[in-house]
Amino acid sequence: MALNDLRPAYVAGIGFHRYQFASETPYVDLGLAAVRAALEDAGLPWPAVESAYVAKALLPMAPGRAMLRHLGATGIPIVHIENASASGSAAFRHAVMEVAAGLADIVLVVGVDKPMPVARAEGLARIGGLADDAIAPFTHFAMLADAYAAKSGAAFEDIALVAVKNHKNGSQNPFAQHQKVRTLDDILNGNKISGSFTSLQCTPVGEGAAAVIVASEDGLKRHGLGLDRAARVTASAGRSQRVYEDATRYDAMLTEETAAIALREAGLTPAGIDVVELHDAFTVEEVEYLEAMGLAPDGQAVPMLKAGEFDIGGRCAVSASGGLIAMGHPIGPTGVGQIGEITRQLRGEAGTRQHKGARRGLAHMVGVGAVCYVHILEKA
Amino acid sequence: MAAADLPLLKPALYQTAGTEVTPERPALLGGECACGYWFFPLQTYGCERCGSREIKPRALSGTGALLASAQVHRHAGKSREAPFTVCSVALDDGPVVRTLIVEGCGPLTVGQRMGTTLAPVTDLEGRAALDLRFEPET
Repeated sequence: MALNDLRPAYVAGIGFHRYQFASETPYVDLGLAAVRAALEDAGLPWPAVESAYVAKALLPMAPGRAMLRHLGATGIPIVHIENASASGSAAFRHAVMEVAAGLADIVLVVGVDKPMPVARAEGLARIGGLADDAIAPFTHFAMLADAYAAKSGAAFEDIALVAVKNHKNGSQNPFAQHQKVRTLDDILNGNKISGSFTSLQCTPVGEGAAAVIVASEDGLKRHGLGLDRAARVTASAGRSQRVYEDATRYDAMLTEETAAIALREAGLTPAGIDVVELHDAFTVEEVEYLEAMGLAPDGQAVPMLKAGEFDIGGRCAVSASGGLIAMGHPIGPTGVGQIGEITRQLRGEAGTRQHKGARRGLAHMVGVGAVCYVHILEKA
Repeated sequence: MAAADLPLLKPALYQTAGTEVTPERPALLGGECACGYWFFPLQTYGCERCGSREIKPRALSGTGALLASAQVHRHAGKSREAPFTVCSVALDDGPVVRTLIVEGCGPLTVGQRMGTTLAPVTDLEGRAALDLRFEPET
């Protein structure tokens, strides 16, 4: 059974606290700002919310009620979801399932996080690798960039154009951590991090919050609301890494199969997607995943990027929010924020970064482990 | 103490002796499942491909093809000093492994042949040891 065999679930409200560099602001302020904004956007009072999913990867145990009680402790079920970078995407999926299954009509998803020391379970589960400490995520992806360049013939300077595009998009997003237009020279001459990456080709460490309200048509009606600004969730796919025939391509294979499930569920081909938010924590990921999802033929994502096909106003706007590179990646909020951006685009309310005629959007996240989520939203 | 007499930094992961196929290259200590899947490092929780616990140790030959490399310019922590170069190597025996490349080996090309070697290092307590590295095969 797929999502579309159940009753429709809609995104009815979106809200953000700007993604930003670490500050003294308590996480409670970050999260509440996003939740209050989402409720106001939806036109719903807090007591209308029947269930809450709190996505966080870095905050300590159980931050949800300690935050949400300040809206009035209504006694609703609150569950925390941690799924690495995909925490917010996983929380959204479960909220959608609860509404689609008919167990609740109005559900909150909020992602909130602050930078904290990270401990990974993988190190506890097995003997460590040969040099795990030497291979931080930026180095994992720097090696992916090296392999991608060798396979596709793309120049590192051209892969860096992903950052030019996404910083430009982020410069028009008031919720983005980086809001500055950067030239290719700015990007290439930045601090060297690993391999071909300079700092502006890597997602910044930061904090923030994003919230969305997932609702049924019945639930909205009961509060005198319609579907005019709602986005319907037409696919939700979640997968984890298998043992693939070609062990070297697990990043791409995981995204490929998850996106294929979501597209099939929505009855769409990649050509039908107008806006994409994806896990562009590092420039190379954007081109790698666009090819894996079928939005570009193998080896063609960089030429298409250079031709402006992934710009706002191009064939398919990719990372119109600024993506993880410019909007930021506070972890828990990130996947929720993607849903917020896509909803805004489908409503036609994205202002200067509006992709004209956006009707169908796709959100993609990966998380260490590895897990992958793809959601498709369509104009209701 | 001569370099060859130094203790191995991570003896659970590799050994000085090679396999029959590549006797000159230190072997990696992997595992082999009854289903035929070869993996690294050795673990006995269960096979990632089929779930079986019929796993036995399997020494893997220290040769393969370079998948990617990256010179690391930023490194948090005191365990090593940047810059250093890491690589991802598809072993001829199947698994993909990642570790450092020997210092000063010049530019690398994806696809080129690589082999294991043991390099003198200093562990976190300041003791001398040998750690596994890859080097281009000549």
